[in-house]
Amino acid sequence: MKLKIAKMFCGLPRYVVVIIFAVVSLTPLIWVWSSALKTHMEIFINPFAPPSKLHIDNLTKAWNVGRFSKYTLNSVIITVPTAAGVIFLSSLAGYAFGKLQFYGRDILFYVSLFGLTLPFQAVMIPLYYLMLDIGIISTYPAVILPAIGFGLPFGTFMMRAFFKSIPTEVMDAARVDGCSDLQIFLKIMLPLALPAISTLAVLQSLWTWNELLIPLLFLQREELHPLTLGLMFFQGRYTQDYGLIFAGATIMSLPIVGFYLLLHRHFIKGITAGTIK
Amino acid sequence: MTRSRYWRNNLIGYSFIFFPFLVYVIFVLYPVFGTLQLSFTNWDGFERVKHFVGMANYVRMWKDPFFLKSLYHNLIWILIGTSLPIVIGLPLAVILWSGVKGFQVFRTIYFMPLVLSSVVVGIIWGWIYNPVFGIANEFLRMIGLNSLTRAWLGDTSTALPALIIAAAWQYYGFCVIIFLAGLQNVDISLIDAAKIDGANSLQRFFYVIVPQMRNVLTMIILYTLIGGFKVFDLVFVTTRGGPAGATELLATYLFKQAFQINYVGYAAAIAIVLAFFVIVVSVLFIRLRERIA
Repeated sequence: MKLKIAKMFCGLPRYVVVIIFAVVSLTPLIWVWSSALKTHMEIFINPFAPPSKLHIDNLTKAWNVGRFSKYTLNSVIITVPTAAGVIFLSSLAGYAFGKLQFYGRDILFYVSLFGLTLPFQAVMIPLYYLMLDIGIISTYPAVILPAIGFGLPFGTFMMRAFFKSIPTEVMDAARVDGCSDLQIFLKIMLPLALPAISTLAVLQSLWTWNELLIPLLFLQREELHPLTLGLMFFQGRYTQDYGLIFAGATIMSLPIVGFYLLLHRHFIKGITAGTIK
Repeated sequence: MTRSRYWRNNLIGYSFIFFPFLVYVIFVLYPVFGTLQLSFTNWDGFERVKHFVGMANYVRMWKDPFFLKSLYHNLIWILIGTSLPIVIGLPLAVILWSGVKGFQVFRTIYFMPLVLSSVVVGIIWGWIYNPVFGIANEFLRMIGLNSLTRAWLGDTSTALPALIIAAAWQYYGFCVIIFLAGLQNVDISLIDAAKIDGANSLQRFFYVIVPQMRNVLTMIILYTLIGGFKVFDLVFVTTRGGPAGATELLATYLFKQAFQINYVGYAAAIAIVLAFFVIVVSVLFIRLRERIA
């Protein structure tokens, strides 16, 4: 008994440290969410107290008057095709680089890694004038296509690693059974790659959802703005109305945090794999 | 392998990579060359002819005090923005790894700020730093340090460090996750041996665990270096480089040059220099990753 208590005390500072940092990470976010439910006066008078009663006016006002319904829809319209495009194209390339033999394969793979860390700034100027010239600036594809292009290096890298880990015997067996090369890919390899595909889907959706610079350049019409731009300009318009700004921040962050809590294993696995494996 | 088999394999391989490469070439590779080309001109974005000016833009950069100041800010960002999350993240990861109940819960919480958009992070920290009712000042008043209260983001001496702290808040959880993954490969028998030899926990941390984490540490540093050169979003949504250029970074400076005052050629040259820094660090990074894997 004595030993147990002594052990508990030894462990105590450790728990103090990990809990302090958990509070540091969590508090600002919870604070923004709860302030979205306060009246304007309450935010100033009692900044730290929880809301006295649930006051949803800010949220409804941001959603309707602040056009957050529109921004949310735009974010979805941009994110879904981008993630789908990255998954589809990266699976093709990742499979080719990981499992097929062809001339120049390794060099081409290194070429595709070149974009892995390339800053978007290195391409944005010619891309801007290209979009202007071909007349697709301020349309959804003007954001979706470059976002797919910039998602491909990571996606290809990740899918290649996964396909490489599948034993080649699986392919040989399928070939013996009379599968064509396309059938092997579609019917055998893709279903096996589902875990990697879902991790990629989660990460790519997150990145596209939060993307600021690409839509800032290529979507100049307000009615096409995704949440990032919507919230940024909204903050500029209503600088003093903190309740409303917090409501906007809540609309943007609550779904993504919920999504994260539901699928945190995928997020963590994908980020770890992308960095050190 | 027969000759026909060889060509058949090539055909299959190339048909798989055709569409991915098409998109990649159009939207990533080709525009890089476009930027390179523009960087040798003084194009303003409107003129029909792009006048070739040789290396003039690159020469001008090193005499441009605003460019040099931005580069200096990036270096500060890299220095503090790299060390702060590591100094917090590594011990925290070791504590979690050494056996804390609810390990998964803490890991999930630390990582959470990373899923937030920089616009949300900007709003959160804009509020914390608010001169009138932000908690940073509120806290200083509470402990009696009224003289230190200020408009954190409006003061040229504090704006940059204040933003770096906001970025570190978002980023340190990432370091915890990566360090935790690296700790899976640490040889526990060495730690036990050190314990038997009488090393205390601090000594075990610095002399047994940290050396074994060398590779992961180097990787995180390179990764943060890349991020430190590229940083744009958080600054753009909070201070836009202000006050008085105190938070101007390469990425925000070149954005203004390109799209606000239309020095397109000059901006392209800055973009090439920025890309060059990032690529050099990335090559080191990829080499190291291959050595470890």
